[in-house]
Amino acid sequence: MILALLLGTLYGLIIGLIPAAGATTGLVVLFGFMSYFSDPYLGVIFCMAVVAASTTGDTYSGILLGIPGANSAAATMVDGHPLAKQGKATYALTAAITTSTVNGLLWGTLTFALLPWYVKLMMVFGIPEMWAFVMLALVCVGFVSNKWWIRSLIAILIGLFLGSIGTNPVTNADRWTFGWEYLGAGIQIMPMVAGLFAFPEILDGWRKGDRTTISHNTKGQTLNGIKAAWKYRWDSIRGGAIGAFIGFLPGLGGAMGDWMAYGSAVAANPKEEFGKGNIRGVIGSEGANNSQKATSMIPTVLFGIPGASFAAVLMALFMVLGFELGTPDLAYDTRFFNSLTFGFMWATVLVGILCIVFNKYISKISSWPYKYYFPILVVFITWACAQYTGGWEDYAILILCSALGVFCKAYKYSRPALLMAFILAMKVETLTIQMTTLYTIDTLMTRPIFIILILTIIAVATLSIKKNKLEYT
Amino acid sequence: MKKLIALCLMAFTTSVFADYLFIVPQKPGSGTSQWAQIVATQLEPFLGEKIHLKHIPGARDIPGFNEFHNSLRVSDKVVMVSHGGNGVSFLQEEVDYDYRDYDSIGLMNLNIIAAKRIGENMDYPKFSGGSGKVPEAWAMALLICGNKSTSMDYYIACFNEHVTWVNGMSNSERRLAFKRGELNGTRENPAAYKKHVETDENAEIWFHHGILQADGSHTDDPNHPGFQLEILFEERWDAPPSGEFYDAYKLVKSFRDGMQKALWVNKGNQNTFALRNALHQMTLDPDAVAAIQKKVGNYEWKIGEDGNAQVNTLIELITPEALKNLIRFNEEALGLNSIYKDHLVIEVEVPVQLEGTDLRG
Repeated sequence: MILALLLGTLYGLIIGLIPAAGATTGLVVLFGFMSYFSDPYLGVIFCMAVVAASTTGDTYSGILLGIPGANSAAATMVDGHPLAKQGKATYALTAAITTSTVNGLLWGTLTFALLPWYVKLMMVFGIPEMWAFVMLALVCVGFVSNKWWIRSLIAILIGLFLGSIGTNPVTNADRWTFGWEYLGAGIQIMPMVAGLFAFPEILDGWRKGDRTTISHNTKGQTLNGIKAAWKYRWDSIRGGAIGAFIGFLPGLGGAMGDWMAYGSAVAANPKEEFGKGNIRGVIGSEGANNSQKATSMIPTVLFGIPGASFAAVLMALFMVLGFELGTPDLAYDTRFFNSLTFGFMWATVLVGILCIVFNKYISKISSWPYKYYFPILVVFITWACAQYTGGWEDYAILILCSALGVFCKAYKYSRPALLMAFILAMKVETLTIQMTTLYTIDTLMTRPIFIILILTIIAVATLSIKKNKLEYT
Repeated sequence: MKKLIALCLMAFTTSVFADYLFIVPQKPGSGTSQWAQIVATQLEPFLGEKIHLKHIPGARDIPGFNEFHNSLRVSDKVVMVSHGGNGVSFLQEEVDYDYRDYDSIGLMNLNIIAAKRIGENMDYPKFSGGSGKVPEAWAMALLICGNKSTSMDYYIACFNEHVTWVNGMSNSERRLAFKRGELNGTRENPAAYKKHVETDENAEIWFHHGILQADGSHTDDPNHPGFQLEILFEERWDAPPSGEFYDAYKLVKSFRDGMQKALWVNKGNQNTFALRNALHQMTLDPDAVAAIQKKVGNYEWKIGEDGNAQVNTLIELITPEALKNLIRFNEEALGLNSIYKDHLVIEVEVPVQLEGTDLRG
């Protein structure tokens, strides 16, 4: 049991450290190895440890290199990487990992202890509420847009366009694919994230031949990071709650939670400057990181309906192990639930301690010249992006997305806004179709949560338009 | 050029590893991928060789099957794993693959079951749309609209008046919307039906499509007796269903359910016998059968020539009228972009009419 936990944690941490590869990538690779678990419950512990550890570990490359560790960790780097450039990498990492660990434990406890109670809550959150919530997320794009608002608007439109490439949800026909069959399933998120954020940074580093930071005095940074996580605990708790709620809603997980949490930190602190190394930006987004992984397990376990992409793969792995999530017989299998909880919670603790202890050593990478490790980064990122089909098309898309990322960075078009619009495009469209097919204005007006969300959208839209002062592109 | 590169790659792969490669047209973790994983694990001991899965996902699971058809199938170590959705796409979309070019290793002839919310008026169903639910749309039209007329115009108008067809829903969204009561109808494969419907105290069976027989007819499903569409239709409308609308329904449901999960190799593949034999041995093993049934339910395998015969039965259901009506209903009632494939009909009809022989030969 302990060995499964340790191996899962170690493997998850390594996956988390690889730029662009997150929990989903780490789990997909495991299919061939599931038969090696003589006791299937050990497999459950191993898989849950991978989820927890990879989620915590993907903070590193975002902060140290300005490259998101996974698509769900991109928001952390907006303020985390500038901190690393200022020689405060250990400080940022410790604050991030402390926040991530605490929220993982908090929401992990709430998830696994109160699992059966969530059914009623899930039942009241219908299609109109989902639509309003996604629209709220879309409005939050304003907070991650930069102060060059026309360019931000163009970035959002490009994101929406790219996100709508694929299959028309009504006619089922290819849309904007220009005859390229590969695009029928849309542009995958991993090459989009890597292209927008990873390769522009790598090229930049290679061109300058520079290191992230010249001086690196780590003295006191670990303690200060932990203190910052406590000092800005409300940003952490708010981020955690946002992440937890998004994880709870099937299909919305991943990057949306982190960006909304980051946007909420920006909105809640209107007098502060973000994008240039504000620790509250790091804490706000990291709060959502592990909490949404924990709550994604709610619809997955209760109904067999995956809460996020990693949960879908996890469900399939459990199936191979002989556990079918969402079935009544599993609800009475206490050993299964114990393994689930044990794997996630202890891996969260273990990886949190490991990271905090070794942060000051790992963060030294930011003082190494780029040329020493950029080829390794390129190899790992390319590997992660080629996990979709493994064909030349994966590489071609990565190159195209990278070109877009380099362009956006050079000409100050907001990359976070583009990414978030890309992620939300299809969701906005399909939920709009569903809502307008099933509901009328009259029936919508009888739904109080929907009305509250609409009012929130109006308030947030007004705020976000006024406050988008980020310089990050 | 592309084919040449693929051939070189395949030659390299097979010479280095000499293992079997199962092509799955979906992402890892998807339904057919899970089935393929389980079957591959159970089949390996009987085959005596390793089986690797290669996922080639893409829109509507077509690109992976196309790639198998266009390049990969020339290798004797490559097996295609397909599902019922590929069968529907074969009828109504532009695809490269063609079942007549392959030999069946084995297939599972499954049934799809529609459920409803208890107490709902199912003359006005709210149902999740999409190309995977086309047979359910036809079945609903038949059940609700009856036999006052057998014309396509009548059924299309009746469907549009009665059915709320909700597009753009993922499987997760559909299941939750049904549990919440936003949809009053849904459909599942047998295993998913057990998991998502039988455990729901507010849901019950509505109808199922029946099990395809060798002569092209359908019989009642012993797992859900009395709920086959034809039985329910006759009970409500005092006559069995018939006419051009019913023929098109039979066509589309057979192509989806009759090859719900299937394994294919290129015609002339030298390992066909070994694969069929291993599959046959596997189906005699109670543990292996139990593992697969847990995923898809208790349905029989059609192995080897029985699988080929099933394909021939399906092909014979394609008539110009049925295919044209399928396309028309898709476009006018469901809003789906579908194409009428002339060659599908001509290539099937000509040999049958000119030679007068059974294609099974």
